Amino acid sequence: MYKSFFTICLLFISISIFSQAKKPTIMVVPSDVWCNQNGYMLNFSDQGSVVSIPDYKRAFQENAEVNQVISQINGMMSERGFPLKNMESVIKSIESNAAEDNMRSSKESGSGVSESPIDALKKVAKADIIMQLTWTVNRTGPKKSINFNLQGLDAYTDKQIATATGTGDPSFSAEIPVLLSEAVIAHMDNFTSTLQVHFDDMFENGREIIVRIQKWNDWDGDLETEYDGEELGIIIEDWLADNTVKGRFSTTDMTEDMALFEQVRIPLYNAKGRAIDARRYTKALSSFLKKAPYSIPNKLVMKGLGRATIILGGK
Amino acid sequence: MKQKMKSSIVLIVLLLISVNVNAQWKKNKANEDSKIWRYDLECEGIGKQGSKLVKVWSYSKNPKHAISRAMKNAVHGIIFKGYAGGGTGCTPSKALVGSASKVEEHASFFDAFFLDGGEYLKYVSAATDGSIAPGDRLKVSRREYKIGVVVNVLHGQLRKRLEEEGILRGLSSGF
Repeated sequence: MYKSFFTICLLFISISIFSQAKKPTIMVVPSDVWCNQNGYMLNFSDQGSVVSIPDYKRAFQENAEVNQVISQINGMMSERGFPLKNMESVIKSIESNAAEDNMRSSKESGSGVSESPIDALKKVAKADIIMQLTWTVNRTGPKKSINFNLQGLDAYTDKQIATATGTGDPSFSAEIPVLLSEAVIAHMDNFTSTLQVHFDDMFENGREIIVRIQKWNDWDGDLETEYDGEELGIIIEDWLADNTVKGRFSTTDMTEDMALFEQVRIPLYNAKGRAIDARRYTKALSSFLKKAPYSIPNKLVMKGLGRATIILGGK
Repeated sequence: MKQKMKSSIVLIVLLLISVNVNAQWKKNKANEDSKIWRYDLECEGIGKQGSKLVKVWSYSKNPKHAISRAMKNAVHGIIFKGYAGGGTGCTPSKALVGSASKVEEHASFFDAFFLDGGEYLKYVSAATDGSIAPGDRLKVSRREYKIGVVVNVLHGQLRKRLEEEGILRGLSSGF
């Protein structure tokens, strides 16, 4: 009697633990426009053409205003129960981790830590949702006002999921930091309310992800290979139709070598009640393709909560 | 002497009753005026973090009733109406509770919340010590006044209270 009661309690506890959807990470990032206007860009030549990329590290080290605005936004989001990743700290962590990895060696063999070129490429500051921040100071004679623009961008679908933009009250006497603080206070409620609409939609219609299918060069099959009279591309589409929320997805591209599926709405939990993301969801498709009659070995590659790629033909 | 004493007691009791009845009548009158939630809300400026500085225009036959109902109307407006803007620098604010079904579902909570002296008073304060600017006291018809009162609504705390009650979803709920 006691044993079964204990088991039921454990079951309830495990369900309540697993019934939380995977929480997206959010990070405030100064926009390219802001970095360019304020001179925080790195320029280099790429085979003759000049390429400019934002120099975030220098922006954080030299510009007190960007720190003030980001700190205020982080504080207001924490108050709403949604603490953000702090980009400046993330950049520092990446650098210190890289330094530690370079120094680390095995005590027994002296071997270094394994890192593929892809791993090295992925060592950048990232989040599931980017809050892209731009502001400009408008001056008309002695009057100053702030034009403020905060965009919430889904890092995987590239969609703008939240926004708040507008121009503040012109002032003769207020300092720029005061005007910036006012702008953040004025716009954050609208930003969070549009973000809330996005989350509500996600809970109702599932998480939106991107699924890519590619093939290794040396695989002798392709997406036009037929199984029981049906092309592999169509078989994958059918699988997605059966396993997405309300059958929602769009086939953006389909060739013999690759397929791109966008707006794929995946459930937030699997049959066991566990929270899932793009990787866990696409793992089921990977296993489906590995089984007979297809028997296609494949490699599953993930990028955050919302993007997964299956490469057909081997690991 | 005894007779005189008796009549003065009766007089005092009658006086007290009439004061009480008059106060009750005034209260009912004020409630009647604001029963249909007839008011306009506009942004008055950028408040401190977590609060909204708004001007609420209340309508009544008696200017005193309009002033006394300003706070209730302001909180009601922030929860159910929102505002489209105001002066330069103001941004629109959406109603905290936009859906009519939520209002019906939690009708008993809101009835208690907006009672005279109810919980709504925790989330609002007068921003100008109760004084009304001359331009904010308008006679809109022969028997009606429109009075503008600037108040400060604790928007952040109000939202948290509604989240606790399950009327609103928090940003992190479900995660």
